[in-house]
Amino acid sequence: MINTESYYTELFSTGREEMEKLLATALEKGGDYADLYFENTSYRDLMLRDGAVSSGGFHVDFGVGIRVLKGEKTGYAYSESTGMSAMTEAARAASAISAGCAGESEARQTFAFHAKPSPLADRYPMLQDWRGCQADAFVPFLMKLEETIRRRDHRVVKVLAMLSTSVSDVMMYNSHGELKYETRPMGVVATSVVFSQNGRIKNNQCNRSFRMGAEMLSDALLEEIASRVTANMDDRFAASRPKGGTMPVVMGAGPSGILLHEAMGHSFEADFNRKGQSIFSEKMGQKICAENITIVDDATIRGNRGALNFDDEGVPGQRTCMVENGILTSYLHDRVSAGWYGVRPTGNGRRESFRYNPIPRMRATYMESGDSRPEDIIASVKKGIYVDEFTNGQVKIGEGDFTFYVNNGYLIEDGKLTRPITDINIMGNGPQALADIVAVGNDSKVDNGAWTCGKCQSVPVMCGMPTVLVSNLTVGGDN
Amino acid sequence: MEHKDIPWRISPEELELARESMRYCLEAGASQVRVTLNKSMMDLFTILNGELDKVTHSGDRSLSFNIFADGRYGAFSTNRLEAGQLRDFVAEAVRTVRMLAPDPCRRLPDPARKATDASTGLEAGLLDSEYADMDAARRLDIALKASAFASIRAEGYTLVSEEMEYSDSIYDNYVIDSDGLECRHIETSFEIGCETTVQDSNGDRYSGYWWESCPRFAELPLEGCCTKALERAVAQMGPRGHEGGRCNMVVENEVASRLVNPLLKALNGFALQQQNSFLLDSLGKQLFPEGFSIVDRPRAVGKNGARWFDSEGTATRDMDIIRDGKVATYFINTYMSGKMEMEPTIEDSVRASILPYSRDGKTKPGTGAAELMEMMGEGILVTGFNGGNCNGATGDFSFGIEGFAFSGGRPAYPVRGMVITGNMMELWNSLAAAGDDPRPGMNKSIPSLAFENVDFSA
Repeated sequence: MINTESYYTELFSTGREEMEKLLATALEKGGDYADLYFENTSYRDLMLRDGAVSSGGFHVDFGVGIRVLKGEKTGYAYSESTGMSAMTEAARAASAISAGCAGESEARQTFAFHAKPSPLADRYPMLQDWRGCQADAFVPFLMKLEETIRRRDHRVVKVLAMLSTSVSDVMMYNSHGELKYETRPMGVVATSVVFSQNGRIKNNQCNRSFRMGAEMLSDALLEEIASRVTANMDDRFAASRPKGGTMPVVMGAGPSGILLHEAMGHSFEADFNRKGQSIFSEKMGQKICAENITIVDDATIRGNRGALNFDDEGVPGQRTCMVENGILTSYLHDRVSAGWYGVRPTGNGRRESFRYNPIPRMRATYMESGDSRPEDIIASVKKGIYVDEFTNGQVKIGEGDFTFYVNNGYLIEDGKLTRPITDINIMGNGPQALADIVAVGNDSKVDNGAWTCGKCQSVPVMCGMPTVLVSNLTVGGDN
Repeated sequence: MEHKDIPWRISPEELELARESMRYCLEAGASQVRVTLNKSMMDLFTILNGELDKVTHSGDRSLSFNIFADGRYGAFSTNRLEAGQLRDFVAEAVRTVRMLAPDPCRRLPDPARKATDASTGLEAGLLDSEYADMDAARRLDIALKASAFASIRAEGYTLVSEEMEYSDSIYDNYVIDSDGLECRHIETSFEIGCETTVQDSNGDRYSGYWWESCPRFAELPLEGCCTKALERAVAQMGPRGHEGGRCNMVVENEVASRLVNPLLKALNGFALQQQNSFLLDSLGKQLFPEGFSIVDRPRAVGKNGARWFDSEGTATRDMDIIRDGKVATYFINTYMSGKMEMEPTIEDSVRASILPYSRDGKTKPGTGAAELMEMMGEGILVTGFNGGNCNGATGDFSFGIEGFAFSGGRPAYPVRGMVITGNMMELWNSLAAAGDDPRPGMNKSIPSLAFENVDFSA
């Protein structure tokens, strides 16, 4: 949602004149660039436990972050007050970077983005503002969700259901004179369900998230969550661990995008590359995987958890093609890394809140469809596993070693899904896994789970994938 | 104890603001209220390849409210502390609470359980007056001197990067409630961490990380942190393939808490009440090896993580979590006490400690990973975990690991890309020994651990 300029300047009690003064203070010790990031976020949550919505609350976080750049060096400070004296103190603290760096920084090409925020181009208009709704308006949704879940499976013994929402007013101004402002909504519905059968306990979770207002709480969403969290419970109770080892892994469409996020996406973030730490640091323009693979990081999907009108440095949100037909074509840049590489920033400068300086982060990261039918991909595997529910991804940037945890999946034997499997960790190496993708399905799907990336700061992201076959990954299991 | 004028501590005016905001809540119709005032400040200097790369200064101040009204409950917080804003904020909070369903289990803790001996915030002995002497120039000097970049003479590898951080912080926490609770906790922290990446002649990369943390600056080992990170990176060069199968596992003290956390989580009332725990109905039962004990020692003066009260204001005390293999405690706060109809204990472990243990009952003082490898002969030494998870309901786990194969009681070669898989109860029942080398600087006091017959996949 994009309000008028005066809505934001009044909310933060700071106009252009005051912002200019703050930037002058921030740069008085010799920085090259400075910016201000004002934020007013209202969080709300409601929890259903033991059949009643009996806890909830709201939380307010308000402040301004001030950043000074001297070359690629960063000074950062923030104030929880937008009074001039507190902000001036923060500006002086951020300016310490200039005092601490010896010598002149190298001149970098800069790119300016002066266009005014336009409601016509808004990717998250928020038809029903969460802040205008009372808590009791959402109680029936959570109660109906629990009722629907219990109706679908008689083995349900406990249901936790939670609605978490946030609305952030943000305003940014920088030493290029660019002013940006908007209001960012986010909604998450999450469930955790415990099932019991013959004295055995199984749990399952499902969550869905959108950068939308309260209009996201539809019956269709409720049915989708209830359906997914109760799906295939017979198989889950029957599931066991496979024999561990290195084997082909078919990754189902949608949430398998975690493979892209962990194995490749982080290594394409340009801060790691600027520091020479990424395993892809010297691969730009080179063929790194099969020609039928194209990988995109996209801020333009309307209402998507990873959508942005512009990033947290005021750079327009955009679709960035990182790998095109197997060739590494772009890293993900914030202004710092873009300046260092001499390219345009890609709108990936993101931060958790005004308490953090922006760094290159993913948005919605997915692989585009290939030309194989998913059933043919499964049929091509003599012995391996099929997986499509994950948690806990992680990567070691320097080595490129990644892991993710599989909640549920199936063995593949002679081209067919057979025994259900559960609770295994999968491990691989990013460049190798990318090179080992030998089939790409025609069913690319963006997953709408509440994915959150935790690279130093937490930011909402999204991932997606068609069905793919990775010829070799290490699978945890029994021996 | 006298202290210098340390910056960013809660002021008398802010203490009064917390008390006043509690009165606002009661005036708005709350029947009971707990108010928590948190104030913290942190400065961080990042050095990349021997040069200053980033300076961060942060200062935070917020009020949190646990509001009970008409048998209902809600939790709220704000960092907008102007008096007018606060009065409106809590009035809306009380209105919101009244929209929720009643829950008779929600109430403040029994006054008899609350801390009455934490009035100054200094009781835990975690405030270092030297914090007052820190300024930007000194922090930069400390960080630059701690970097080993200039002294590294790379032989047999290329140094890709050395990224180190020095930070110091102060945290001041004040908790009051409408039943008369008033307690406070203040601590300083000084930390240094370094990640070093190297590359071998094949272009393969290896990274090593090391860190130190201490509540008192004088005790922070500044020298050697970056060298240790480099050593850990270089030691991983040239990993060999290692066949999967069952073998012994020694887990270094640096990362051993990863295996303890699922146990502590499974003993928490929130998991137990939801039947989402693999330790359901375990209280008093002999589920672990005889002689194996985990205790909580929250009131260790001057030690990282020491606390005199939990977030409800309940007084902490020494307690057994697992004693001689028997489950001795569930972590039950006031709410879960009502839900589970059990006596409350504490909301969570504060400074969980594993006591030295070996199956034969003979653990030498100071036993660490080296002695455990010697004892086990052959196996895998785990120096890092890479991802993975533990299913809270079943205890089934699978973790990526890195480390070294050891043979004849000594590390033989690095291994990489392996996964351990099993069940928490089976794993802990295959415990051969727990060392006596917990890392200072950690909140939990967990030594190196040795297990038999662990399932490795490669």
